[in-house]
Amino acid sequence: MPRPAARRRLRTFLRAGVPLLLMALLAACGMVPPEPETREAKEVYLLYNIVLVMGLIVFVGVEGFIIYAIVRYRRRDDRLPTQTHGNNLIELVWTAIPTVIVLILFVLSTLTLNSISTRAANPGVTIEVTGFQWQWTFHYLDGDGDATNDVSVTGSAATPPVMVVPVGEPVRLILRSADVIHSFYVPAFLVKRDLIPLGEAAPNELEFTVSDPGTYAGQCAEFCGLLHARMTFSVQAVTAAEYDAWFAAAQSGATPGPTVAPGSEVVKLSAEQIAFNTHALEVPADQPFTLEFANNEAVPHNVAIYDGETELFRGDILSSVGVISYTVQALPPGEYTFICNIHPVPDMTGTLTVR
Amino acid sequence: MSAESPTMHGADEHLPISHREAGMPTPLVGMLLFIASEVMFFGGLFAAYFNARAIHAAEWGPPPGAPELEMLPIALPITIVLVASSFTMQFGVWAIRRGDQRAMRNWTMLTLALGVAFLIGQIYDYTTLGFGIGDGAFGTVFYTLTGFHGAHVFGGAVGLTILSARAAQGQFSRRNHVAVEAISMYWHFVDVVWIALFSTLYFLR
Amino acid sequence: MATTALSPQSKSYSRSWVVEWLTTVDHKKIGILYILNSFFFFFAAGILALLVRSELAVPGLQFLDEGTYNQAFTMHGTVMVFLFIVPVLSGFANYIVPLQIGAPDMAFPRINALSFWFLPLGGILLFAGYLFGGAAAEGWTLYTPLSGPTYASGVGTDLWLIGLLLVGTASILGSVNFIATIFKMRAPGMTLFRMPILVWTVLVTATLIMLATPVLAAGMIALFIDRNYGGAFFDPNTGGNPVLWQHLFWFFGHPEVYIVILPAMGVVSEILPVFTRRPLFGYRAFVFATIAIGLLSFSVWAHHMFTTGQVFLPFFSFMTALIAVPTGVKMFNWMATMWRGSITFATPMLFALGFLSMFLIGGISGVMLSAPPLDFHLQDTYFVVAHLHYVFFGGSVFGVFAATYYWFPKMTGRRLNERLGKVHFWMHFIGFNLAFFPMHELGIQGMPRRIADYSPDAGWTLWNLASTGGAFLIAASILPFLVNVVATFINGEKVGDDPWEGNTLEWATSSPPPPYNFDKLPPIRSERPVFDLRHKHDAEHGAGERGLVEGDHR
Repeated sequence: MPRPAARRRLRTFLRAGVPLLLMALLAACGMVPPEPETREAKEVYLLYNIVLVMGLIVFVGVEGFIIYAIVRYRRRDDRLPTQTHGNNLIELVWTAIPTVIVLILFVLSTLTLNSISTRAANPGVTIEVTGFQWQWTFHYLDGDGDATNDVSVTGSAATPPVMVVPVGEPVRLILRSADVIHSFYVPAFLVKRDLIPLGEAAPNELEFTVSDPGTYAGQCAEFCGLLHARMTFSVQAVTAAEYDAWFAAAQSGATPGPTVAPGSEVVKLSAEQIAFNTHALEVPADQPFTLEFANNEAVPHNVAIYDGETELFRGDILSSVGVISYTVQALPPGEYTFICNIHPVPDMTGTLTVR
Repeated sequence: MSAESPTMHGADEHLPISHREAGMPTPLVGMLLFIASEVMFFGGLFAAYFNARAIHAAEWGPPPGAPELEMLPIALPITIVLVASSFTMQFGVWAIRRGDQRAMRNWTMLTLALGVAFLIGQIYDYTTLGFGIGDGAFGTVFYTLTGFHGAHVFGGAVGLTILSARAAQGQFSRRNHVAVEAISMYWHFVDVVWIALFSTLYFLR
Repeated sequence: MATTALSPQSKSYSRSWVVEWLTTVDHKKIGILYILNSFFFFFAAGILALLVRSELAVPGLQFLDEGTYNQAFTMHGTVMVFLFIVPVLSGFANYIVPLQIGAPDMAFPRINALSFWFLPLGGILLFAGYLFGGAAAEGWTLYTPLSGPTYASGVGTDLWLIGLLLVGTASILGSVNFIATIFKMRAPGMTLFRMPILVWTVLVTATLIMLATPVLAAGMIALFIDRNYGGAFFDPNTGGNPVLWQHLFWFFGHPEVYIVILPAMGVVSEILPVFTRRPLFGYRAFVFATIAIGLLSFSVWAHHMFTTGQVFLPFFSFMTALIAVPTGVKMFNWMATMWRGSITFATPMLFALGFLSMFLIGGISGVMLSAPPLDFHLQDTYFVVAHLHYVFFGGSVFGVFAATYYWFPKMTGRRLNERLGKVHFWMHFIGFNLAFFPMHELGIQGMPRRIADYSPDAGWTLWNLASTGGAFLIAASILPFLVNVVATFINGEKVGDDPWEGNTLEWATSSPPPPYNFDKLPPIRSERPVFDLRHKHDAEHGAGERGLVEGDHR
């Protein structure tokens, strides 16, 4: 009887096919990476889409079979079905075909890997990236052997650092860690590379060429301790002209510090093992004072003063052992918070009483 | 079948085949498998050693201020002692396969004495080295490897003590001495690890 | 030879059940102890997961501070892997393997007991960190230098190391026991190629445990020495190499994931033939695929380290892609078993089918990660979290629940309620996919893992909220399961020797089996001795009556 049998087949097909289609659609929409913004990322994006399609085909095929089988071969009577123990030919074929597929995948992957790993002979910009618990320093290497005019950007949890780079030129990053393993990750570049403290050994490097101007978010992607989640940064890609202008300004500009009134109050504060030596400071009200801050470790710290959420003073960051004198403006009487911007943890927070 | 496991199965030739144990006795299988896991353990430690050595190839060895590792007067003699102890252990095994429990006990106690001598020599060697576990990569891997080897020798010594005590109680016979076979395998393993370690530290450098 | 019924124990030998269970060396009781202990840790680690998901539901730190959050995800992963999934599968293996090979017990019953008791002890040490300044908080992978003495100065990490050294030793001893048992104690007629597939997968798993866990032990001891004795294994400031830890850890860690999945695959391979009434298609190929996976598993470890810039990418990428082949072969074997079968959908079968579908997704995401250029984007993001949960949870845990429903009648003489089982399954299935499928998208969009909080501007909020909903649905699904277990114990449907019409020897004895397992074994001429007996009997006597399979035993 053709009609009922055909109807039954159609029902089976629909019962199997509809959930499958729904699943595949759900999967396909949205499961692609962010718009790729570097030359290398575009190649990775292409590979990703090829592999995703391959995966979807496998999924639809296998899952489709499973759903079809459980619908079609539901137990209807007590007869024992045919007891098939195996079939050498079929088994050979379904071993060979996946082997070929994974080999193709491997070849495509290796081709892409080689393409994105090429190194330019003369990168436009070389930046030494130092990761530390829990921020970044971007140190632009201009190759002139003079450290005093180097541009260096260090971030804090409240103000993550911005890495300004030119569009269209290879940017080479030299990745170092001051403490534990971190990872430099920009999702829009579809790449990350670890920052590993390797002692004397050669550090990791990462190279990319940004294709479009824009600001791209980045974040540490290797769990590095307490404030790992706050270790963010961004990469701002600008035109070559804008980059040159920015770089020149950054090199020359050193904001003059406020003048120190003679005879003003001096309070001392030091930092060691990611902790201040005291959590209570006191200064007289309504007059500027000097905060002499000693950093006793090779970990960047600073001191900032807040009234609630409002930032009243932000001191320059001391990246290594040293002493700096902050000149803080006059403050009205009250209780304020002093804190290290880079490590806003209880050990580096205190109360500044002004009376 | 009997040819594969030379020991206790030769001993049950008089029994009908349905009453004989087939293949290697289960406790020996267990000991072999355990030794396999120990091989992997030392493998991990050796991996750490070779990794550190590759990284510090130029200056690999005791830290500045400490003398170079020398085979004499301690390391080579204790190696000879330990290798000899494998021979004495094997003589003990052969003795009990013949049914001679007394001889087995004597050989076992001699093996124990040699093992203890090795340990004493090893500890004495430590005092002459001039560097510690906290003195750089070489110091750390040196003491970790030799230390864990020594711990395994100690474990084997405990086993040998138990064997000697059990032999004194008359618990072993030609047919029933699987513990002796098992401990002897362990003891040979400990010796082989030492040969590898000694070669690595004193020949390969 | 007349049947020798094992008579009840004489009064003078009886002892209180507490002492009995504390001192037992019977593999069946030890198996149950493993399972109960493991489920306890499953719930503990599950609560930790709920803490994590609750915090991540929306941006901002609502309940936890960063330090507590970091301990929570570290302990969640550690406890789930080492104190739940491996031991629970070990427990089922402990109970079932001797039965399936027709043996009276394991080869070394006292070491079997010792292996078990190390587990609660190790678990206590792990959690003790909370009492001494904080548990380990460096992620379950404990990368150096973060886990070294400078950056993880609390004792929690040391307790973690010691606890896991105990658990690892127990695991190794257990694996020696399984291999010796399988090689030495099979009933007459059971050649290697007539063993049930579960026994094969346990054999390969035990070999992996035996060879891989000691390397982890070496690494953990090295870290302990660095932390406490000034060692220089991993500290770059004193000549150590932080990446060495990753090599040692993952050399163990990769075989570990096959240790977790192979027994679950074995369980599924037992259940599918019974509920489709077909033999496992391609038994031999399946065995060789299992062995191939075991061998290959030692050659892929550095695919966890692609972004370190310190490993040879093409080799590890190639081997990782290759290991997909035997895994795929197994999937096809299962599919062919169902083809032209006669399928029923009792709860064990539902979980087995769920395993197939979820493991398929996990396998596909794994193959995607095997390509270094893709891994550079996806490593350390929620895509990896999605992948690992699809294989660990969608794979192994579904397998564990399948095993629970399947063998509960054998262990207790009572069958779990089907309706509650189905409620459990569907809540679990939907909750699982809701919790973990969105994580693929989150990872693809760049959300890193192991972060306590994320920016409201990132666009990750919706999927995180959905995922948290799924997590709570999974938690809720445990309720019908627990109600089912308790109610069945009290007054569940009683069953005889073979409630499912099974194929393998455990169904040829009473439910539960007597102390030494079998009075009498059916002839063993294939991998399905009970199936053969049933169909020979049917051929001779008609299908109405099943003589030897029930009734004759106590």
